[in-house]
Amino acid sequence: MSSRKASGLARSVGLGLVLPAVVVVLWWCATNFNWVVRLPYPQQVIETLWNWIFGTGPGPYDGTWLDAFLSSGARVLVGFIVAAVLGVGLGVLAGYFRTFGEMVDPLVQILRPIPSTAWVPLTLVFFGFGFEGAVFLIALGTFFPIFVNTIEGVRGVKASLLRVGRMLGGRTDQLLMSFVLPSALPNIFTGLRLGVGLSWVLVVVAEMGNVRNGLGYTLHDAYSMGRYDVIIASMISLGVLGFVTDRLVVLVQNMTLKWHREMSIHAD
Amino acid sequence: MLTETEETVVSVRDVNRTFSTDEGASNTVLDGVNLEVRKNECVVIIGPSGCGKSTLLNIIAGFDRPTSGSVTVGGKAVTSPGPDRAVVFQDYALLPWLNTIDNVALGLKLAGVPAKERLEQAKHYLEIVGLGHAEKRPVYRLSGGMQQRVSIARALAIKPKLLLMDEPFGALDAIQRAVMHQELTRIRKETESTVLFITHSLDEAVNLGDRVIALSTGISGNPPEVRVPLDYPRDPLSPEFVEVQREVKRLLS
Repeated sequence: MSSRKASGLARSVGLGLVLPAVVVVLWWCATNFNWVVRLPYPQQVIETLWNWIFGTGPGPYDGTWLDAFLSSGARVLVGFIVAAVLGVGLGVLAGYFRTFGEMVDPLVQILRPIPSTAWVPLTLVFFGFGFEGAVFLIALGTFFPIFVNTIEGVRGVKASLLRVGRMLGGRTDQLLMSFVLPSALPNIFTGLRLGVGLSWVLVVVAEMGNVRNGLGYTLHDAYSMGRYDVIIASMISLGVLGFVTDRLVVLVQNMTLKWHREMSIHAD
Repeated sequence: MLTETEETVVSVRDVNRTFSTDEGASNTVLDGVNLEVRKNECVVIIGPSGCGKSTLLNIIAGFDRPTSGSVTVGGKAVTSPGPDRAVVFQDYALLPWLNTIDNVALGLKLAGVPAKERLEQAKHYLEIVGLGHAEKRPVYRLSGGMQQRVSIARALAIKPKLLLMDEPFGALDAIQRAVMHQELTRIRKETESTVLFITHSLDEAVNLGDRVIALSTGISGNPPEVRVPLDYPRDPLSPEFVEVQREVKRLLS
């Protein structure tokens, strides 16, 4: 890494930390000056988080973070992958084949505005409590932004590129794989980023209704116990995990879409 | 006119193309057009915007269908696009996610040619267009003239019977364009290509064509043509060149 790159990274990390620091200061004030009742101190939440992750004590939450993370993480991972495969696959087909697109679009547009929380009862009916129900809920909600953005990307493929594919003798499957899909990738990644963030929201929804473990369940459980420190520790965990997974998608995006980044406005 | 040594590559017979407008009226852009291109020939179609020259090229490429009439290339009726007719587009239409050599090798890849072999062939055609040094460069970093060279190499690499060039140098500045005129003439000799070239530039038409066909708006039947009796490289400032230009111009008005 060049020193210019390193200092650029330091700069963006520094900039990114400014607002969180402001939030922590305001939070401390809110607790200390009793602006909000029952709000734990930041340092208290950090201690709770520490014990939740590394603690070996007798407390009900001590040392259970990793289990909760693995439960939630597995649901997010599988749900997101299912949504990505279906969203990109069907999106490419619906965007490219007009008839198919006209056929699926109305159904998708009717299902899309239904809030994921509204699906919880039916999910219980279909799958009961457990992994499958949570995955279903996550995949269902995450599917839409991926699908819609993929279609948008496919419709934006330049007609001249498709003509190139056809004059070079490409079959339909080759046109889809070698021309349409790469062309639509910038939009597809937008959908994947929206989707990965959404899947952390949905895992909490699922764990409040469908399953009995995970970070969202811990949050729900802590609420019934009045443990606001654990609630905030769960929220921080979810936020950080959402951030990290988003960065992972962006990392893959930057590796895959070097051409797109270099043609964009922030290119050197 | 046809002798045994002059094999016909393209044959356009009585081609009509009528578009219906939004108001329900119909607009005939090609009315009974006949055209022939023989092997190793460079035929230039010149005409003003809207005369139907691009429509004609699209029909020969297989992107568009004639309302009536027939088009054959290499004796086969044209029904869809195919690798026997390679098109060079005005906007280059390169794939930005592929580097230069992969863009050139793309047609071979689609045809299932193994990686090593197609890269060798692509390299050969990159050298022909003078870009042997740029194989790993991203195409979006190349200048317009270089991008068009890549596009020409991509077209040549599939060894088409016919090169269809749709105002390929229209976006280049005058200096690059003059260079590309020389280059195209050289490449054409080297690869024994048959070319159908579309332009609205008199200078370009007379510089490149063995024959220049003047397509004017609303003309039916056989469009008039001028044979260019000049050897390559041609001097656009010579009196003979100017004389041919004058003749083509007369056909257009």
